[in-house]
Amino acid sequence: MSARQAIKVGTKTVKPVLSSSHAEARNRVLSLYKAWYRQIPYIVKDYDIPKSEAQCREKLKELFIKNKHVTDIRVIDMLVIKGQMELKESVNIWKQKGHIMAYFKPTEEPKPKNFLSKFFSGNE
Amino acid sequence: MSFFLKRTIGAGNGVGRAILNSTKIPGVQRVATKSTEKTPVQETRPTVAKLDPLQKAQLVDFGKYVADCLPKYVQKVQLTAGNELEVLIPPDAVIPVLSFLKDHHSAQFANLVDIAGMDVPSRSNRFEIIYNILSLRYNARIRVKTYTDELTPVDSACDVFKAANWYEREIWDMYGVFFANHPDLRRILTDYGFEGHPFRKDFPLSGYVEVRYDDEQKRVVVEPLELAQEFRRFELSAPWEQFPNFRANPVTEEVVNPSEDQPKK
Repeated sequence: MSARQAIKVGTKTVKPVLSSSHAEARNRVLSLYKAWYRQIPYIVKDYDIPKSEAQCREKLKELFIKNKHVTDIRVIDMLVIKGQMELKESVNIWKQKGHIMAYFKPTEEPKPKNFLSKFFSGNE
Repeated sequence: MSFFLKRTIGAGNGVGRAILNSTKIPGVQRVATKSTEKTPVQETRPTVAKLDPLQKAQLVDFGKYVADCLPKYVQKVQLTAGNELEVLIPPDAVIPVLSFLKDHHSAQFANLVDIAGMDVPSRSNRFEIIYNILSLRYNARIRVKTYTDELTPVDSACDVFKAANWYEREIWDMYGVFFANHPDLRRILTDYGFEGHPFRKDFPLSGYVEVRYDDEQKRVVVEPLELAQEFRRFELSAPWEQFPNFRANPVTEEVVNPSEDQPKK
């Protein structure tokens, strides 16, 4: 019985998702960015979206910059995994035009910021 | 024993029956470990499952055997609802425990019936992953439970059970639990571009986005959705009583709990 007690059941150390260091996580992010960047011409062509390659690159950069405050390696890894899955969905054309265009949010109205626009939208 | 006989005699009138229904039957609960003692009362209520003491004793023995074979991995073995054996393991132990249960000659749990997820936000490891496996050879079922949080990967059981593939994809989709070394981990139930994991308790009932057809765009568009929602308190117990007959029955019984076993002196 004491032998069993000596063996600790379960561990408390954090298990890495993919990367074990910041440099590794950074490499993964960069390679994901490059993969998306190289795929953009094909996406524009395959999905026939009303956007130019330059606009798509800008959007890609914006989406990556949106998460630049993330410092936890495991969170970065999780975001990379999800980005990878989205890329795969786009490459294999599992997605449709609407799914790609959803990144651009064409119908979304910007939130009212100043007094007048709030007044017009009926929030104030 | 005499206490019990009195209870049975008193069961003739209505008051006695009420007591009998609402209290646990000590003989049945204890019989598993003491096989020499006979069961004093046979369950006669037609709507209540009849417990087989022999089966229960076998389950208890098997639970102890598993805990003895895998002392490094088994955190606890318990029996729920009288005859359902559960093995509680840490997330690192999924592969060894499942392959032991599958390949061991006196277990042969070769069929993976289901993998379920559970989210309890108040715990430090909020997700529970539950493997239900079946042994056709011995006509027995066992449940293996492990835990994880949003960022801790669990080893994929695909190498042990081929059936785990889609179940794990479902868990990934619904709860966002990452399975390491899964051959094809991607969404299975939600739409492409779907945000969030719907079975998480903090997922709003309306979702994060709304999908509609836009006449100007001539296309389905996705728009963020904001609905005022009261802060939800996660009270898992229902306001009414569902199973009054089981009011006093213990839900789980511990079979083995190595972490709390005291060394014998």
